[in-house]
Amino acid sequence: MIWVEVLSRHRDVTARLRCDGPVVHIGRGYENDVVLDDPYVAANHVTVFRDDAGRLIAADSGSVNGMFLDRDDTRQERIVIDGERPIRIGQTLIRIREASHAVERERIGRPESRALPVVLAAALGIAVLGIDALSVWLAEIGEPRASNYLTPLLGIAVMVVAWVSIWALLSRIYSGRARFARNLLIALSALLGFLIYNQAARFSAFALTSRTAVNYEYVALWSIVAVACFFHLREVGRSRLKLKAAVVTSLLLLVIGVQTLQRSETFYEYGQQNTIRPLMPPALRLAPVRDERAFFSEIERLKTALDGDRMQARSKDAGQ
Amino acid sequence: MRRRHNLHLHNLRLHIDIPFGYHLRYLSCGLGGKHFLRVSIERILRATGWALLVAVLVGGGGAAVAAPVEAPNFPSAAERIFASVPQRLLQIRTLVVGAGEPTSTGSGFLVGADGLAITNYHVVSQAALEPNNYRLEYAAADGGHGEVRLLAIDLPNDLAVVGLDKRDAPFFTFDDAAVEGSVPKGERLYSMGNPLDLGFTINEGTYNGLVERSYSERIHFTGALNPGMSGGPTVNAEGEVVGVNVAKRLGGELVSFLVPARFAAALLQRVRDHETEPPQDFRAEIGRQLGAWQASLYKSFGEDGFRSVALGPYQAPETAARWFDCSAQTNASVIPKPRASVDSMNCRSASGLFIANDLNTGLIQLSHSYIRAVGLNQFQFANFLTQQSQSRLIGGGAYRKWYTPQRCHEDFVATAASPDRPALRVVWCAQPYREFAGLYDVAVTAVTEDHGSEALVSRLGLQAVGYDDAVALSKRFLEAVRSAK
Repeated sequence: MIWVEVLSRHRDVTARLRCDGPVVHIGRGYENDVVLDDPYVAANHVTVFRDDAGRLIAADSGSVNGMFLDRDDTRQERIVIDGERPIRIGQTLIRIREASHAVERERIGRPESRALPVVLAAALGIAVLGIDALSVWLAEIGEPRASNYLTPLLGIAVMVVAWVSIWALLSRIYSGRARFARNLLIALSALLGFLIYNQAARFSAFALTSRTAVNYEYVALWSIVAVACFFHLREVGRSRLKLKAAVVTSLLLLVIGVQTLQRSETFYEYGQQNTIRPLMPPALRLAPVRDERAFFSEIERLKTALDGDRMQARSKDAGQ
Repeated sequence: MRRRHNLHLHNLRLHIDIPFGYHLRYLSCGLGGKHFLRVSIERILRATGWALLVAVLVGGGGAAVAAPVEAPNFPSAAERIFASVPQRLLQIRTLVVGAGEPTSTGSGFLVGADGLAITNYHVVSQAALEPNNYRLEYAAADGGHGEVRLLAIDLPNDLAVVGLDKRDAPFFTFDDAAVEGSVPKGERLYSMGNPLDLGFTINEGTYNGLVERSYSERIHFTGALNPGMSGGPTVNAEGEVVGVNVAKRLGGELVSFLVPARFAAALLQRVRDHETEPPQDFRAEIGRQLGAWQASLYKSFGEDGFRSVALGPYQAPETAARWFDCSAQTNASVIPKPRASVDSMNCRSASGLFIANDLNTGLIQLSHSYIRAVGLNQFQFANFLTQQSQSRLIGGGAYRKWYTPQRCHEDFVATAASPDRPALRVVWCAQPYREFAGLYDVAVTAVTEDHGSEALVSRLGLQAVGYDDAVALSKRFLEAVRSAK
């Protein structure tokens, strides 16, 4: 008994045919055991038979376009079939296996809790909306208004649902399952990560008088988006993960590069960083209070940098 | 942040400098529509930004050299004076070299048979700064015209001496009483020039002494000055120059300013004595004069020192110099009721200096806000303070042309380990002038860190200041912030 499998471009089996005879004829003609509707396949293209040693052999039956092993470009007249590497004829991939072909062990099915992802997603969702509502409340310095909360919260909810729906749709198209809950978990984790980063950056800008985290917030934002995209892609299909990681990383680098360029050009145009310097309750201060002399010696050092900028600008002016 | 508005009236320019964020409202009050005679102090002070009028007096008919005309038949002094000026009253035009048409006009007047004339620096500033792009011409009220050479400038007093190819023409002389500073208030004066390029005019006004609270000495002239009359003479009934038209206050009526005649006489004397050869490069001369001027400005500011004012439980430094305009504001009566009360005071120096059409500098600003939470928790209050304390650098001109990048340093600072000196969150920013080595615009913002629901936000802004002066002044400023508790 010989099985002939027709594969898609993604190596998924699209048809599987059982042939009981010792010889299998494959081609476009109806006299064949396996009929392929590929205009590049000959009427009689391949014959599969057993040789004297008992090996399964695929032989070209005199086609014009020939027979190839998988992606290889060398035309083959005879191929010894191993049951793993597909054979390419015309534009069709076929894989031939014997009844004795060994299959992998079955995966161990974990008792899948349907409730767990839902509970997790709900918890993350509450955390995200909670942090957002809290930051709206703490920034509310005018009259309290319900719409101050409802608008951003609703906005976030709609955005998350739209984002997750797109990934779920892609996942459904390419892998057959939408995996909405898992995609939702990924999106919410990313959002939570960013909200926490944002708060931490503001906190360190005040409490530690360090603006690094605030200045590079855009890098963090895009990195988080990239990681989330990678995990979404992984849900869409687990094949070729390295390629997906490479594509996501190069897009990330491109976006960060463009934004860095844009920021430096804005600075060049206006000569000052347009950044907010957040204040927090004095009790949250972590950095020590500097002595006045130490502070002003820092100011003296600032002069060197300022004059350096000026010298550079002047020599540039002179060069023009 | 201060914004500058340039109103282009015909081909004449009007510059208005407006402090911290209040621009359009003030403009619309000041210029358009009907305005009420009752104005708040705050609005008057906002209007402190000075307007420069570029104008020229028509140099007219040939009166005898400097002598008042014998005029039995003239019914008014103005008529008599005007009849005598056509040859010595000038319009000074700045022309684009490549286009041959004027880009701005001002006024001027002959002061000697040697062809020397006086005008404002701001009338000739384009030609002084960019001699390759702009050149000067005069047109006298009698129709004569010709080339103008720039010979000397007095940047602090906004004066320039120019040379004309006009020899042995009648000229103006200076009023001795004005040079000595003994003109009585109320004396009738006559101002001349070419307002809005409409033709030479004369109009009456009164001498009202020197402007109080001005760093530079300026005559308060109650009379109409209009754009195009800058650099024109204002004379007494005998036709002798008392002052040079320079600016007017927007938002008031007939409130105009003259540069006292003695500065013009002194600059003229320096040119005649060849003390100042015409510089090859006026840009360098401008930098030198600005450097000298700001050094004495900040010396004077430092010597006058700070005095303490109470804002809530805090003591804050206010300047003791008399050449500042100060005003106070509160949000107490705002509806809906604010959730934090803000009582603030703001002092702004009357020391603005015109450098170029797109650069005014020399301004000192000092402000304090006492802010107290009414219905805000500590985090909300901190957010409110964040809004109130963002650093506003008071740049006086276009960044790319006049400055190089700004840099800031921020930290928690203790000025002394004493209970009445609260810890401060200080942001210290400086931006160097591209062309004027050693000068910077500096902005210091300090917020007290001793209480979660009340704070003092203090700011000090110094334009065109030397680094050491800026450090010393901001140090004194920060040290003077105290808490009464």
